Amino acid sequence: MVTQEEITRVSKLMKIEIDDHREYVDKVKKMIGYFDVLDSAGVESEEISMPEIQISSLREDKHIPFSDKLIEKINHYKGTYIHAPKMSS
Amino acid sequence: MNLKISALEYVQEVKNGNISSEDFMAKTLERISDVDDKLHAFLSVNEDAVDQAHEIDKKIKSGVKVGSCFGMPISIKDNICIKNSKTTCASKMLENFIAPYDATAITKLKEQDAIFVGKVNLDEFAMGLTTEFSAFGPSKNPWNIEYVPGGSSGGSAVSVSAFECIASLGSDTGGSVRNPGSFCSTVGYKPTYGLISRYGLISYANSIEQIGPLTRTVKDTAFILNIISGLDENDNTTIDNKNTNYLSDIDVGIEGKKIGIIKEMIGDGIDPSVLSATKDAISKLESLGATCEEVSLNMVKYSVAAYYTITATEAGSNLARYDNIRYGYDFPVEGYEFNSYISKARRNFGPEVKRRMMIGGFVPSAGHAGKYFLKAMKVKSKLTKEINEAFKKFDLLISPTVPILPFKIGEKIDDPVSLFLVDINTVTANLTGKPAISIPFAITNGLPVGIQLMADSMNDKLLLQAAYALENTVTLPEVPI
Repeated sequence: MVTQEEITRVSKLMKIEIDDHREYVDKVKKMIGYFDVLDSAGVESEEISMPEIQISSLREDKHIPFSDKLIEKINHYKGTYIHAPKMSS
Repeated sequence: MNLKISALEYVQEVKNGNISSEDFMAKTLERISDVDDKLHAFLSVNEDAVDQAHEIDKKIKSGVKVGSCFGMPISIKDNICIKNSKTTCASKMLENFIAPYDATAITKLKEQDAIFVGKVNLDEFAMGLTTEFSAFGPSKNPWNIEYVPGGSSGGSAVSVSAFECIASLGSDTGGSVRNPGSFCSTVGYKPTYGLISRYGLISYANSIEQIGPLTRTVKDTAFILNIISGLDENDNTTIDNKNTNYLSDIDVGIEGKKIGIIKEMIGDGIDPSVLSATKDAISKLESLGATCEEVSLNMVKYSVAAYYTITATEAGSNLARYDNIRYGYDFPVEGYEFNSYISKARRNFGPEVKRRMMIGGFVPSAGHAGKYFLKAMKVKSKLTKEINEAFKKFDLLISPTVPILPFKIGEKIDDPVSLFLVDINTVTANLTGKPAISIPFAITNGLPVGIQLMADSMNDKLLLQAAYALENTVTLPEVPI
């Protein structure tokens, strides 16, 4: 069973602030609780298959200049720098 | 002016000079203005659409070669980028985001002279199946505006169903094209994974999502698929379809085809009227010369849990970029420490997105990954094996698209698990990469029922042929709005 403390920890990890804490915790617990059905799938011995792509099939890794200055689209761009909040020490 | 024509009829009418692109577009915008207050399919409308249509007419008159869409009005789900247009993902986080480039599917449609009549509503970041989780309010089902239109591509389905455009592009991560297709009585198509480039589709769960068309007819879906499918060097998951023409031979029929009826998708919890429609569809396919028998896919009962585990994990990662520094809304940075700023800014995500991100942080985390994420991946692998085995015996698989009828707005919004289960029949195609289509098949108590057909990977052409055959067995009433 997922605990309230775990959900609170994860919300901090995911950088999500929530107001109606109880409602969120209850719903998230209910959703994660539903995933317990996976325990009865009997897939312990199953191997996870992943698609493979040959490196030769990938496009050439070269710089393609973009026509617009994308940096100018950033909200806090100030002409020569991006204004960001201070980092805590 | 008949706005109810199909895409192929539109092309023919414009080609023959019976209608002009400009007149059709003007009438389409008039229609949007008349009905969209009630339906809320559109988040933004292209104010230049009539001028663009006028340019198409000029090209036609002067004998300049015109692309195969001839100015056809198409709506686009608002998580697909159109250069210099707002792309909000129905989220307050991206309320003013202007896309700096075109998605590949958009580039291809532009090359064929399609006109984008507007961007349409969705559940925020495509996370939902009713369109109720849009930050800008829900769309309404044109068959009964008290009911949900399905989702997450609800705006796409509503706009096609209510004649506010001819076709639409949506995206399908767990049924998000087929579910609203079923609820609004339009065709909804999820192609083989990789058939359509995802470049320019704002990522939610990359490993399983696909762009897909919503149209009035199966032939229209084949027409759109001809344009937007194929390799793209900007998406290395795309596959070479050798320029397959999905429209040619669409009417070959299904005589001799073997169709598996997925037992787990017509069992507990299915609405009796949906079951009855499914049985009717099976009878009709048999009368066309197909043979149908039950097949079991044991992993289906775990598929929804696996789907939400995998998609939440990918969403948690994909949505990390919305820190309000690179992308976001106007919220000054002064006075905030870095992490607290990001947390504060991310309050603008809606409740469902926050819930899924929290799950996305939890299920792959140390101590829990073995119980949730790895098991979900194993279910995905086993389900793929099961369905591949089924396709050794059957050409196609059939089920209802959604096991229940459309429900009232607000009816399930507070019960996430009951909402999960609405996806039970659609997520299998996404988890296994198979193509699947929802075909409008019945109207029960004034509400639509769609039938889902699935085929093996890269058998999209066969799937469309079967869908066309089934579509032609029914004549459905017109949408009442």
